[in-house]
Amino acid sequence: MRPAILIENVTVRYRPYFDRKPTLRRSLTQLRRRQVEEVVALDDVSFRVERGEAFGVIGHNGAGKSTLLRVMARTLRPDAGRVVVNGRVSTLLQLGVGFNGQLSGDRNIYLGGLAAGLKRSEIDAVYDDIVEYSGLGDAIHRPVKTYSSGMFARLAFSVSMHIDPDIILLDEVLAVGDADFKSRSFETMKEMLERSGTIVLVSHSVKQIARFCDRALWLDHGHAMSVGPARDVVKAYNQHNRALERVQGE
Amino acid sequence: MSVASISKPLPRRVQQARDYLIDLWERREFVLALALGNFRARNASTALGLFWWVLNPLLLGAVYFFVVIALFGRQSPDFLTYLLSGMFVFHFTGQALTSGANSIIQNSRLLSNLRFPRVILPLSRLIESTMGFIASLGVFCFIAAVSGQANFTYRLIYLPAILAIHFVFNLGLSALAARLAVPFRDINNVIPYLNRIWLYTSPILWQVSTLPNLSELARRIVEFNPLFSIIGVYRSALLGAPFIGSMIVTMITWAVVVGVLGLFLFIKYEGRMVRYL
Repeated sequence: MRPAILIENVTVRYRPYFDRKPTLRRSLTQLRRRQVEEVVALDDVSFRVERGEAFGVIGHNGAGKSTLLRVMARTLRPDAGRVVVNGRVSTLLQLGVGFNGQLSGDRNIYLGGLAAGLKRSEIDAVYDDIVEYSGLGDAIHRPVKTYSSGMFARLAFSVSMHIDPDIILLDEVLAVGDADFKSRSFETMKEMLERSGTIVLVSHSVKQIARFCDRALWLDHGHAMSVGPARDVVKAYNQHNRALERVQGE
Repeated sequence: MSVASISKPLPRRVQQARDYLIDLWERREFVLALALGNFRARNASTALGLFWWVLNPLLLGAVYFFVVIALFGRQSPDFLTYLLSGMFVFHFTGQALTSGANSIIQNSRLLSNLRFPRVILPLSRLIESTMGFIASLGVFCFIAAVSGQANFTYRLIYLPAILAIHFVFNLGLSALAARLAVPFRDINNVIPYLNRIWLYTSPILWQVSTLPNLSELARRIVEFNPLFSIIGVYRSALLGAPFIGSMIVTMITWAVVVGVLGLFLFIKYEGRMVRYL
């Protein structure tokens, strides 16, 4: 069967001095002596995510997790390697992408849905479900800038889950919102898995990954340290961290 | 047979351009939603809301009207319509430059999260300012009628075609500004000055006929300005003067060159944009 996502030998390098902020002056004065100080965000990473699978990504800050998600969302083209994604992708790398705070919740449902690639008629069909799932009630007619961060998260998550994605990419976004919203979100994601949808989840909470995910990837400074059953990967990750703490303690 | 030539695969570049346009067309609802969304948001946050569409060009015109009169004394009675027609047309292009340069940077979240033809961002901003420009043309006609300087002729019916050509020019300009402003943020600081210089070097506050003994070279430089022909063609339609063939040709040439070049450079670069945000 075709995998949902196939990542083969993917490498992403950032050149912070030139790629990220080459101001006019810098590019003029430093045309000749290019002091390329590369940061390798992902170093020859390979793995596959099967359909119907919940896949976790763990690692410290700066390990390359967010870069990896951008590569899977195909908004960032890697410097080397192959990326294959089969199916409609919904990204929740940040909450409320495409939303306009000045506008009301209902207008933002359309804005967010259209940004994600839906047609207006497709949004019409799920509009009532989105509003109901978000639990916002009459607040849906208020400008989004008046929402609490929890309300905002509920609306954004509701839109993302209702665009009927085959694959959903989540980056640490479920940290906001109350316990009730969190458990309901995981309920929804489980239903999606049963319909052979695919979920890729980045989280700092290794417990969450071990509990929810089938398999996981551990990234460390852009290297894939291990890929496999989520519990095993989390175990190895924890052992590694404990060993590090001991070394630092001495 | 002709069938064989049709089934021949298209060159790669042509294929890519066609795919891009199809992709863009598929996203047309998103383009409009972005333009209308920005427009509504702007109105919601100001007390006068919609009125600013009309007020902005009016105030701009009024300021320069009085500056010119204060500096150079009384002008001919048709000066007001001459100034406003030039000012409104210029304002549309100046806005394209400014909003184009901001369009990518201000939407960095959209860019790093979602896949879509990036040209949607400058395009939607341009559509937003086009709505403002059309409103300002309405204001112009009203003022011309009230001031008794109106000379409305059948040439007004060419306005949509002129606007379409102008739109292509502005789109190319806007895409070019966006392309450059992503790696070189300095551009955003330069644009206000660029706009100011462009305003003064275009025939808005002054008339070519009143410039004393212009040398041949100087005249050519003045006429090389794309806005020279664009404003000239608009004035023919708005003020009822005959169209000048060479101006129309120059305007279309500028629109095609800037439109194609701007879009080409933008699209060629758009895959790398996210790295600079």
